[in-house]
Amino acid sequence: MNGVISVGMADYKTARSPEILLTAGLGSCIGICIHDPFLKVGGMAHIMLPTATGSLGGNPAKYADTALELLLQEIASMGTNKSRLRAKIAGGAQMFSFPGRPQVLKIGDRNAEAVAQELKKHGITLLVSDVGGSFGRTIHFDVGTGELRIRTINHGEKVV
Amino acid sequence: MKVEITQFQLDALREIGNIGSGNAATALSTLLQRRIDMSVPKVWAIPFEQIADIIGHLDTPQATIYVKVEGEAPGKAVFYFPVESAEVVVQALLGTDKPMDVYTDEMAQSALKEVGNILVSSFLIALTQFSGIPLQPSVPALAVDMIGASLDAIFLEEGMLEDTVLFIDTQLTGIPKIEGKFIFLPDDGSLEKLLGAMGL
Repeated sequence: MNGVISVGMADYKTARSPEILLTAGLGSCIGICIHDPFLKVGGMAHIMLPTATGSLGGNPAKYADTALELLLQEIASMGTNKSRLRAKIAGGAQMFSFPGRPQVLKIGDRNAEAVAQELKKHGITLLVSDVGGSFGRTIHFDVGTGELRIRTINHGEKVV
Repeated sequence: MKVEITQFQLDALREIGNIGSGNAATALSTLLQRRIDMSVPKVWAIPFEQIADIIGHLDTPQATIYVKVEGEAPGKAVFYFPVESAEVVVQALLGTDKPMDVYTDEMAQSALKEVGNILVSSFLIALTQFSGIPLQPSVPALAVDMIGASLDAIFLEEGMLEDTVLFIDTQLTGIPKIEGKFIFLPDDGSLEKLLGAMGL
């Protein structure tokens, strides 16, 4: 599709209006969408885990904290003002449950919490948080309008 | 932790995949009372972030059966197939021509879990035969949803991510066509243990 930029797992991209950012098949992962409504630019990150601290390593775009840092740097280089940035997030589902087994730490919930916390730390307003549930999500983000289209297989489609 | 896998080890794993899918084809033929053939699988050991290169569109709906593997070399085992294949399997198993809604029908879902359990076990038996390490599958869990969503939830469940995912492509074809893929995700240290036990 023309003007659609695909964001892979553990990946982040920036875009300018009228480009659309897309990430497909979010389960417990989270899609972080950020845009500057004034300059009509923005970006998206597809994070997998809450934090890069501890023994975990590898690609910094995997983690909520380091991925957001990288995404914000790239967005800043487009001339945006941090105070104007708005965020919308989606994902963080719990896809499977085993009967009789307690879910101690749901990774989807932990991801959602971590992302919200990191956004707060950077002083970015979180406008929409469509997280949780037990279903996958594919998201399209229009960096010009800030519209986030959330598609599911069996739980409808909406624009927020 | 990153595990380096040599071509020789990959070849051995492909052979195990062959035997596993042979077991799976036999089990499925018996269960469905129809001929199921297998094709020679491909094997990949890849970082999880790259699975899109193998599975294609991450939001394609697939029936995904997930089993935790317990024993001396624990890990996770997954079998997934397209929703159309899942519907065919369920109809054959329940002996009906009625369209089955695998998204919501409990009977259909329970049939799918059973089939998935048999398929996953077929692969685990092959792994055990080669390594001598007993592996026990847990009760299966099922999701019929976007394949990327199901897989990321499985692989990230404990808040950890192994760098290497073992991907065994299996084409089970019958009349009508049924295809699916098997994935084994060894816990930290399990792959070394399995390969070591096989003298690799």
